[in-house]
Parts: sequence; structure tokens; C-alpha cells
Amino acid sequence: MIFKAGRLVLPLLLLACAGPALAHNPMCQCEPVDGERIKCTGGFSDGSGAPGVTLDVIGYDETVLVPGKLGDDSTLTFKRPDGEFYVLFDAGPGHVVEIDHADIGEP
Amino acid sequence: MSQARDAVTAPSPLKQWWLKWRFHLNILLLLIPLGFMPKYFADAKMFRGESGLGANPIENIAVGPWSISLSELLAEAPRQDGPAGYFKAFNASLCSSCGSEVKAAYLRIGKPRSLRAAGTIFFGNPHRMSTSLPVPARTRADAELWITLEGWDGSLHQASVPLAKASPATLAWLNKQGGKP
Repeated sequence: MIFKAGRLVLPLLLLACAGPALAHNPMCQCEPVDGERIKCTGGFSDGSGAPGVTLDVIGYDETVLVPGKLGDDSTLTFKRPDGEFYVLFDAGPGHVVEIDHADIGEP
Repeated sequence: MSQARDAVTAPSPLKQWWLKWRFHLNILLLLIPLGFMPKYFADAKMFRGESGLGANPIENIAVGPWSISLSELLAEAPRQDGPAGYFKAFNASLCSSCGSEVKAAYLRIGKPRSLRAAGTIFFGNPHRMSTSLPVPARTRADAELWITLEGWDGSLHQASVPLAKASPATLAWLNKQGGKP
């Protein structure tokens, strides 16, 4: 009887485990680590990291202030530039995340 | 030993009815899926493109020398994709003559700062392209959807449509967020 119930429950469990196909949208978070520096962490929504992916800090006049790539731990720490800027996590055309300096906040 | 104890006691009328008719529950196995059939076929038709691009289509938006039709995939609020935030699926279709001239199509809420930050890219065939647009919860109700088309000749052309027109469900969702930071 237990075996029979198991045969019934197992397919149901397997069905419950089958999740929908997940996209992997790019994501990036930046936070101030002390008064002068900002630490940005990149990745994808499927949980994978983004080591080696380009992360540039760009001024409002479109000059690249800090050209960078994420390290092995998918993070990059840089000195907060003067003036207005935004952080661009660039995993390829159309796979970007922009973070405005006003959204990073103060420590 | 009495006769009464040996005799098999007759089940109650209710039990008799249950034993006789319980097999008809099998019919439910057919009837329940039948109830979901209309939605299944409507979805199948929509994903095959037989019922148009999607919900709330905006036809022939002029973008420079080209034109594009834009439509939300489903008339529903943006869906959350884990910590990456909320996303809204859009479909688009390039004009029949410009499919070979356009290299890439991008969609973004608000005017793009540059081509690198032109937003999310459309993928798929030119007659039915799809993309997943990130929708920040603090997006303003009067925000514009900006379409950027990049030609094979290197030219860039842009156009915008009100988000409220392209996706009323997203607007309703934004209003419900109640000005979250």
C-alpha cells in the first residue's frame, strides 16, 4: 500500500519541481563602502555571477571616468568620482543595467 | 451461533449508491481539462502569432525612415524576476520592407543616454521580436517608452510612445506601488 502511494506521489512531486523556464536578466547593485569608495556587484537573475564583465563609470557628459571589469568575485570597487555620473553594467548590447549616482547614496 | 451473525450485513443505501456510482468520477478527468481548453487554445494562438502581436498593439510607429509596431505580450502587470526587479514582456514587428535594413532594436523607459545604454534588445525574427523590459517601481506614470533602431549603415533613429498607452496594466501597477522610492 505504501509502495502504491509512493508511485502516485512521486510523479506529482516531480511535476511540482518542474519550474518555468527562467530568463537570466542582468542585475547590478552598488553601495558605498566608505566615504570615498563604491562597491558594485554584478550578476544575472538565474544566480550566476558575472566575472570579467565590463562595468564602466560614465559621466553625464558621456566620458568614461572609470573603465573597469568585474573581478573573480563579480565585484568592482572604485573611488567615487566627482560630479554626476552613472554606473553601466554592460554584459553586451541590450544586456545592460544603469545605476544613477543619486541611487547609490551616501555611507 | 445465530443466523444473524453469519449473514453479511447489507451496506447502507448511501454506501450502495457510492459503490455503484463512484467510477463515474472518471468523467471529471475529462471535464476538468475541458474547462481549461479555451485558455489553452487562446494562449497557443497568441504564442504562434495568429492573434496578432499581443495586447494593446500600437501600429506603425514611425522611427526615422522605418516603422515598427509595438505590443505588450500580455495585458498584465510586470512580473518580478528575483532580485533583478520587475520585467514586462513586449513584442514588436518591423515594417516588411525594413527588416533587412535594421540591425538592432532596443526598448527603454525614458530617453537613452547613449547607444550602449539604449535599453533592452529585441530578439527573434523581424516580424515578431520579443524583449523583457525592466520596469523600476519608481517609474513615473507619465513615462515614455523609447524605441531605438540601429541600421546596418550605422544610423540611429528613435521614437517614443507613452507607457500608459503601450501598457495600461503597467500604469495601474505603478499607481498601486504608491510612490515607492
